[in-house]
Amino acid sequence: MSDTSWLFIAFTAMWIGIGAYLVSLAARQRRLEARLEQLTGSQSAREE
Amino acid sequence: MTQPTRGASERLRYLGVAAWLAVAASIYLALFVAREAEAAAGGQLQRIFYFHVPSAWVAYLAFAIVFVASIAYLRTRSVRWDLLAHSAAEVGVVFCTIVLITGPIWARPVWGTWWQWDARLTSAFVMWLTYVGYLLLRTLAPEPQTPRLAAVVGIVGVVNIPIVHFSVYWWRTLHPSGPSPANPSSSSGLGGPELAAFFAALVAFTLLSMWLLALRVRLGRAQQAVARLELGLS
Repeated sequence: MSDTSWLFIAFTAMWIGIGAYLVSLAARQRRLEARLEQLTGSQSAREE
Repeated sequence: MTQPTRGASERLRYLGVAAWLAVAASIYLALFVAREAEAAAGGQLQRIFYFHVPSAWVAYLAFAIVFVASIAYLRTRSVRWDLLAHSAAEVGVVFCTIVLITGPIWARPVWGTWWQWDARLTSAFVMWLTYVGYLLLRTLAPEPQTPRLAAVVGIVGVVNIPIVHFSVYWWRTLHPSGPSPANPSSSSGLGGPELAAFFAALVAFTLLSMWLLALRVRLGRAQQAVARLELGLS
């Protein structure tokens, strides 16, 4: 395998890693925001 | 505080834009401006150095933040410090993992082996294991003691950073070293374009890690807000 192919593999692995972490952060944030909205709704309903 | 303020969201956005612009510039400099290294150093593959070393720097930085935030947590018992330590550990593990993946990919064609249990590689692996252990502890330890136990690990774990960094000077290792602390002017083999690519990547990865850290802290705040509301409703 050529140097350029190894470089491509290393480069791809690195950005897949960072991308996967970003996707995981975004997914967790979305889930929490949805849950937060749901809980805020329940709290308002209780107060009424 | 359940929601970040508008100002905080805007700052986060600007930081993200700055980080990605810096990353784009550093990729350009590393791939198209820096000259190809000699074959013994990996030729084209040596360009991974422009991302491997900044990833290691960012991992050190993140683990140093864990150390400072852990001390601050033990002194103040403020959940803000605990959240910062937890978030920095996660970001540090991401970049330390990148170091441990890109290093062997460089080593395979240059050294003829993926891995050597030499001082630098072993101590870097131990550093990674320490902070993966820290994150596992945060998941598995009984709830009221988690932040305190994690803070102790976060403080003790920092001992390994100088060992990883100076291992190439203290012991004979296969791993390449930069200019030594005893002789800082010794040749790093980098010319002007290479130094520009290297420092651009250092800045880019620092900005990127700070952005990821800020995103992770925001996530932690949302988790705390959900936990508080769930407690209030139960």
